Amino acid sequence: MRYALTLLALFFANAAMAQGWGNVAKKEEETGFSWTAPLWPSFWMAWTPATFALFCGIFGAIAVIGVLEGFKYRDGIERRGILGLTTTLGDRLFISLLGTAYIFLAWLGLVGQPLWWPLGLSIAWGIFCFRKV
Amino acid sequence: MKTENQRAWFFVLPVLLLVAFNALIPIMTVVNYSVQETFGNNVFFWQGLDWFEQILRSDRFHAALGRQFMFTGLILAIEIPLGIIVALSMPRKGFWVPVCLVTMALPMLIPWNVVGSMWNIFTLPKIGLLGYFMNDVLGVNYDMTQQPISAWVTIIIMDVWHWTSLVVLLSYAGLVSIPDAYYQAAKIDGASPWKVFRYIQLPKMKTVLTIAVLLRFMDSFNIYTEPFVLTGGGPGNSTTLLSIDLVKIALGQFDLGPAAAMSLIYFAITLLVSWLFYTLMTKDDAQ
Repeated sequence: MRYALTLLALFFANAAMAQGWGNVAKKEEETGFSWTAPLWPSFWMAWTPATFALFCGIFGAIAVIGVLEGFKYRDGIERRGILGLTTTLGDRLFISLLGTAYIFLAWLGLVGQPLWWPLGLSIAWGIFCFRKV
Repeated sequence: MKTENQRAWFFVLPVLLLVAFNALIPIMTVVNYSVQETFGNNVFFWQGLDWFEQILRSDRFHAALGRQFMFTGLILAIEIPLGIIVALSMPRKGFWVPVCLVTMALPMLIPWNVVGSMWNIFTLPKIGLLGYFMNDVLGVNYDMTQQPISAWVTIIIMDVWHWTSLVVLLSYAGLVSIPDAYYQAAKIDGASPWKVFRYIQLPKMKTVLTIAVLLRFMDSFNIYTEPFVLTGGGPGNSTTLLSIDLVKIALGQFDLGPAAAMSLIYFAITLLVSWLFYTLMTKDDAQ
């Protein structure tokens, strides 16, 4: 009887271990890079690679436009577009970014995730802004 | 050919650094917060865009946004015409000019929270001068701590009292810059006072009025202190404007994620409306 109980206990312990109970409170191994994990956990701004990339994109776009307006096109290719506004390259970047924010917000509010359609719409809006506005 | 002096950029650098510290870094932090969930201790969990979806679909946000637009619309509809009328009736020269100008500037010198407390004490039903006068002398049932309508009337009057002066001073500056020759020409043509206003004074005031509308829009859309001190957002939620609701979510409930998402939506609205105002009102000048 004693042997049977020991065997049973061993069996249950084994089953529990197999289901992962032995790993409770053990630190999970790093599984590599994740876009959504905290980037610098001890720093205060709560960066993640995804949001970091977003700001790199925005500042990169501003920098590219700035360099273009500063050296290549001195007047920023100022013109009157189809909205009746006189815009430079920087204005067009601002309009496309602001419009993109509204496209995504509107889609999130009215339809929901995922956001592949508004991504396409935003790219189309950006192209439209830089060519026609 | 290089004609401009590029060294001017170095003079802008300190401002750029200042803006980076007091605007750019906080807003980047807000963007980071808006896609994550936290329970404090600087530990964050990825949430994606759920907070945005939740805020955009919440009735509470829609109601606060509606109240905010109503507040801003009402005070603009009152303050801009009233400011123009007061500026038109102010003297252009003589002893009374400095008296009028200083009197006009006085409300703007008072800090926001003091304005809120002043109006609170002034309008309380039993002990306030206005509250007592309305209830016990005129017999009007007026209690801004209990009735939403009274609370709304009070915050609107308070804002009109505090900020119409800004519109008055800006319009007055526009009016005194009109040369006498314009008025003489109008007199010779036999123009009516309305036509003088419509075709001489209003066009000359356009630039300053643009600035007045922009400043009053942004200030009133971001207003927090005065209604918070006066009514605390009540009675119920009736005067909970967008910023008051935001602070309730962020600091009252400590829901940093939804609050961050809400403040980004708030920011996008302010940015778009300000840009629209500015673009539409300066469009004619560019041509």
